[in-house]
Amino acid sequence: MDKLFKKKHDLWLSISFASFAINDEEIKSRLYDFALIAFRHMKWIAIEVLERKDKYNYDRDIMLYKRDNVFEILEALASEIKEIQVLYKDNELGFRMKNDDNYLLEYISQVLNNTNNNKEVTAFNMQRKWLDKNLPQDQIDALTLFLFDESYKEYELILIYAYMQVRTSDIKQYNVYQDLIDESHFHLKSFANMMSRLGILALPRELHEMTYIVKDLDKFIKDGIDEEIAAKEMCKELSEAIKDEELSKFFDFINYQENYHIELMRKLL
Amino acid sequence: MFENTKMPEGMDPQILEHLMNPQNYGKLDEYSCVGVALDEKTGEYVIFYTLLDGDVVKNVSYATNGCQDTVVIGSMFTQMIKGNNLEYANGAIQKMHDKLGKLTPQQQICADIVFSAFIASMKNLEHIQAGKEEEVHVLKMKDSCESAGMDNKKGMEDKKNG
Repeated sequence: MDKLFKKKHDLWLSISFASFAINDEEIKSRLYDFALIAFRHMKWIAIEVLERKDKYNYDRDIMLYKRDNVFEILEALASEIKEIQVLYKDNELGFRMKNDDNYLLEYISQVLNNTNNNKEVTAFNMQRKWLDKNLPQDQIDALTLFLFDESYKEYELILIYAYMQVRTSDIKQYNVYQDLIDESHFHLKSFANMMSRLGILALPRELHEMTYIVKDLDKFIKDGIDEEIAAKEMCKELSEAIKDEELSKFFDFINYQENYHIELMRKLL
Repeated sequence: MFENTKMPEGMDPQILEHLMNPQNYGKLDEYSCVGVALDEKTGEYVIFYTLLDGDVVKNVSYATNGCQDTVVIGSMFTQMIKGNNLEYANGAIQKMHDKLGKLTPQQQICADIVFSAFIASMKNLEHIQAGKEEEVHVLKMKDSCESAGMDNKKGMEDKKNG
């Protein structure tokens, strides 16, 4: 099994969840850009692994940085970035990843140089309060369950589609997988940022290989479409149940997005 | 989430903890037996690994592509049987039913798929001990979340029923 792929998978999650955990919009946004770059690294590593007839999987060693302030999160992230450097090979991909990581380290260093950036992190405080609005507890509970279910599902879909994307030689399928991955990245980011606001940010659980090694693509896609239809219904019900205009509009928006998402999936049949 | 474990202020903090940090989740590198419970209609599964030291469940883990109810029940059930002997573990399904209290039909299906995966791992152990070559024992579920007309909607039903 490829060790670099595993470490890059961990690092992609670490950068993503550092972004989700931090409230400062500029730091959040910059880190998220780097997270997407790390995800592309993962894809390129996977292609390299397959070209040399080797294997990789989605096992992880990651521990979420549940820290109290921004600097502690960024210092832990910087250490992880430095650790991975020794695994990069002396080839174009290795040079590219080193260069990207060095730029991220430079950015983290700039943030750490300004003590005004060292704000409190509230993503793990378990308060389950939605901003300054006083949502009833049953609505908060429904939102909590939805976010746990759907953040896992988006993470799962990103990894499954990525696994299939690097294994297809059909350009149409490749493009559909890319669209589906991009859609799920956006949804994961949206849901994880909401979990962070509620103080319940958590890593999606690890994927077992039974989940991502798909033997029957048609059945997988048909089951997936059924799941998306159920998720649409759940979004609709959540939108109706939550008496908050901003949240309701968001869930209506996600619900509407799923229509074309399902059409994209049908293109794989 | 589970009706009888509700507290006045909402979701039981223990349930939330299981959601945020499921216990004994993932694969075991070293195990004595492994079982899978599979819902063929939806593709939902639970895989259950058990490592025995004599008669004692020394280690245990599970993984699933199912919903959060399945994850929470798996987390609670594995915590309950880890470190205990097989006799206790086999009786733990009833103890879990007592602990969970009244469940919705959908939650019952989630509980059943977890327990069936454990039973499948015990079947695998029986077969290995009988000298059969069996990598994993698979049990197919009779009831499906799909036939219950639900899956991802469970959370909403919890809210309405709870």
